[in-house]
Amino acid sequence: MADGIVLERAGIPAVSLCTDAFRITAEAMANQLGFPGYQYVALPHPIASRTEKEIDEIARDALPEVMRVLGAGLTIRPVD
Amino acid sequence: MTSAEEPPVFDDAPLADPAEVRRAMEYYAERGWTDGLPVVPVTESFLAEFLATTDRDPHEVLIPMPHLNKNLTVRLAAINAALAGCLPEYFPVVVAAWDSFLKDGMVTRAIWQSTTGTAGFVVVNGPVRQRIGLNCRGNVWGSGFRANATIGRAIRLGAINGLGLRPHVFDQATQGTPAKYSCCIGENEEDSPWSSLAADNGIGPDDSAVSATVIRSVLHIEARHTTVPEQLAVDFADSLCRTGALVRARASGYVVLNPEHARLLDKAGWTKQDLRQAIVERGFRTYRQLAGAGKEAIAAGTGWRLPADHPDAIEQTLPEDPDSPVQLINSVEAIQIVVAGAPNAGVSSIVETFGPFDRAPAITKVGGAK
Repeated sequence: MADGIVLERAGIPAVSLCTDAFRITAEAMANQLGFPGYQYVALPHPIASRTEKEIDEIARDALPEVMRVLGAGLTIRPVD
Repeated sequence: MTSAEEPPVFDDAPLADPAEVRRAMEYYAERGWTDGLPVVPVTESFLAEFLATTDRDPHEVLIPMPHLNKNLTVRLAAINAALAGCLPEYFPVVVAAWDSFLKDGMVTRAIWQSTTGTAGFVVVNGPVRQRIGLNCRGNVWGSGFRANATIGRAIRLGAINGLGLRPHVFDQATQGTPAKYSCCIGENEEDSPWSSLAADNGIGPDDSAVSATVIRSVLHIEARHTTVPEQLAVDFADSLCRTGALVRARASGYVVLNPEHARLLDKAGWTKQDLRQAIVERGFRTYRQLAGAGKEAIAAGTGWRLPADHPDAIEQTLPEDPDSPVQLINSVEAIQIVVAGAPNAGVSSIVETFGPFDRAPAITKVGGAK
């Protein structure tokens, strides 16, 4: 989340990904960095123990939402 | 009537309204400013007693955590030491511990947010141990000693309240470890046949010092049966190299030797360096053993261990003999030795760390007032 916010602050559209086990932390991080409501994409947990095929499926399923968040433009106004 | 053996002797306690005491305790608990146990209320005047023990500016940043918009200042460290139940004279040790955590580098790399769930581990050397009653003898990992209990707790409360690392939010520990409540020991320099950890790292006998890092667990080593140094080295190396602990390519840890084991080694003519070297020589698993646990290869990027057929695995040539050793401890620097505990049995321990793998521990001097 912090990386996504840092990139958007620099004017580069970004999308942060995390698994749904980390939603609370992800949203706390957005709040902590002053951007409540920062849009991100939550993937099904876990990642580490999945096969390559399962990861591909997760990526394929998440892609429309990733593109939507990216296409929504900057969530954060870049610093002047 | 109460007997001297009964612990809570309320009639003799200083006069205070118990309802007010409970209200103060609940005030802190409701705000999430505790580790789950009651804390000591802190007033500005009580805080001033802590700040008077150090020449450090209250606004000096001890631990920066920019990605969380947090800085642990000397003042915040003092508030949390007071909350933890420290006496003001313990505070210079707490400051030295934070200095050591900064030098060690793991905390500022956000390791305390990790699912691994590490605890802070603080080793204290030098005359401050006697001045503040820091236990380094029997029950050294156990309860019963205010300085040990509250200095270690000051670190955890500093993490919670100073750095904002609350469990279930920024502290994402999957399970954590009981050491997260408190984990602070003194080295039993008086019962050790060898120079101390601090002396080995350039600290003079009149100075006190702290060595801090993060740990995953403390393993019990039961070895009352032997007087053979090599056999002890096998127990330590075997425990350090257990496959369950392996996440990275290499293993590292502290060996906390009880004085009986240290004397046994010394009597056999072994130095501390000899023991470290003996552990390095035995610090391996066979390829077959690692493969049995699916940890025979290393991932590109993370450097974590995983099976050789994993798509992230760095390609490697299979050894001709699957029983050939794979070295897991490559350097004596990966093994730190501290003597602690009572000289009453062949019981020692291993502290599992995340390094250092190839450098000296982060030792910092205990300072004082101006």
